[in-house]
Amino acid sequence: MSIERHPPPFSPHPEERRSCASKDVPSGSGASGSILRDAIPKGLAPQGEGLDHARGRQRETFVAIEAARYGYGTGPAIVDDVDWTIPCGAFHGLVGRSGSGKTTLLKLAAGLLQPEAGRVRIDGALLSGPGPRIGFVFQQPTLLDWLSVADNVLLPISLKRRPRSEDRDRAQTLLELVGLGALAHRHPGQLSGGQQSRVAVARALVAEPDLLLLDEPFAALDALTREELQDDLLALCALKATTVLFVTHDIGEAVYLSDRVAIMAAGRLHHALDVALPRPRRREMRYEQPFNALCRELRQAMDEAS
Amino acid sequence: MSLRLASALLLVVLLGAWEAYCRLGSVPALIVPAPSSVFATLWGEIASGRLLPHLWVTAAEMALGLALGCAVGLGTGILLAEAPVLQRMLHPYIVASQVVPKLALGPLFIIWFGFGMAPTVVITALICFFPLMENTLTGLSQVDPGRRELFRMLGAGRLQTLLRLKLPSALPVVLAGLRVAVVLSLVGAVVGEFIGGREGLGASIIAAQSVMDSSLMFALFIVITLLGMLFYQATLMLERLLLRHHLKG
Repeated sequence: MSIERHPPPFSPHPEERRSCASKDVPSGSGASGSILRDAIPKGLAPQGEGLDHARGRQRETFVAIEAARYGYGTGPAIVDDVDWTIPCGAFHGLVGRSGSGKTTLLKLAAGLLQPEAGRVRIDGALLSGPGPRIGFVFQQPTLLDWLSVADNVLLPISLKRRPRSEDRDRAQTLLELVGLGALAHRHPGQLSGGQQSRVAVARALVAEPDLLLLDEPFAALDALTREELQDDLLALCALKATTVLFVTHDIGEAVYLSDRVAIMAAGRLHHALDVALPRPRRREMRYEQPFNALCRELRQAMDEAS
Repeated sequence: MSLRLASALLLVVLLGAWEAYCRLGSVPALIVPAPSSVFATLWGEIASGRLLPHLWVTAAEMALGLALGCAVGLGTGILLAEAPVLQRMLHPYIVASQVVPKLALGPLFIIWFGFGMAPTVVITALICFFPLMENTLTGLSQVDPGRRELFRMLGAGRLQTLLRLKLPSALPVVLAGLRVAVVLSLVGAVVGEFIGGREGLGASIIAAQSVMDSSLMFALFIVITLLGMLFYQATLMLERLLLRHHLKG
């Protein structure tokens, strides 16, 4: 399998915890035209189409949201009786209008908020707060402007212990994977919005979380940069078969990235759409009929939900 | 560049007008000394070595008072920001203590600390304390909620959040407080010397007044102004150094 041949910075830690990567390992993304194409180390190059549906297969549940409810005071619940499961290594999307409770649901899954009723389980264990197994990418890059790009990426580690040289190597590898290898010593103020978002994604992945939660991370970027970042994200998550929940209000983005898309409206989940597009996703797919049909279906379902 | 030139030219014009007014209007030197005599006095004080010890005393009082007041102000600001209960309990008293004119406490401080540098340093520290404390309090309470959430997500402890997020975020506001404190510290040091000093630029002004030497008083004003501008520019440089990576605006 490709992961075994990967250089040390990305070596899996099977002794520390169960990783989704130990099962079906999807190939690295072959996103055409992505800046990742040249940056992906040997052994992680696209493995052909045979594993394309690996993510779609039935697998063990990794995230289980059970009858979760959350509200402020006596008003109507913001998240209302939501049930949702994400299998190990799957990429799930969550779409909905602004104010539909998407972000709140994501924060419940992160442990940043505690449900008033119901519960959230990660890998079978009840979630009581944020932990190192969960990475989170916020709407804003939220980089610390007084730290260099490399130190920003290392923040999740440097808050726990003094970063070792292998941690620095891993941060540098991640930065190279998102095309910022040469900018590691710059400061966030010297980066464009898209570059800052890339640093935020690299930071979320540096501690090798099993679950990655993203809250409209690319919403403020232009369409072309957004497409590049989507390809980068798919490739990075494929490296370690990270389980992902991605919140967005962009229908095309949800379909392009996800194995399954849920629609949220007024605090409830309404509809789930399976995206049976092959992996790795390629940029041309956006203009093909199956992709557009899925987008139309999702759009109709959103209209019906609200 | 041309603006700086114009600024310097304005000074020359003003000094020339002042000199002309004194000479042509035959103003008594006691009331308004001519610039030429002021500079002559200033040079005489520098050359004779009489000025330097006084300059050192005032600069030392200013630096000591500033360091003491800023350290206590920063510490109190952090403490009050981190412990809201303490803030609600103590803040009214701290504000009350600042509303009392601190210079009015000078005579009392002379009883407590004797003559010399000590009472002046304490007055200066009391004056510098407040802008630092208020700005620290404000800066620490204005940390971006998104970054706070990030630190929560990363499992950062309270001390880590303070040292690695809140204080660096608050630094621009804290340093703005320091700039105010630097300007006030010179006022504290000079006026403190008026009340109880035997040495220093402020004490020298009182001594010059007692012998009706107006041109010496003007010369001391110039020295005090230059001292203040030196401290202020040093603060600006420190600010530029510490905030070189902080985003503007």
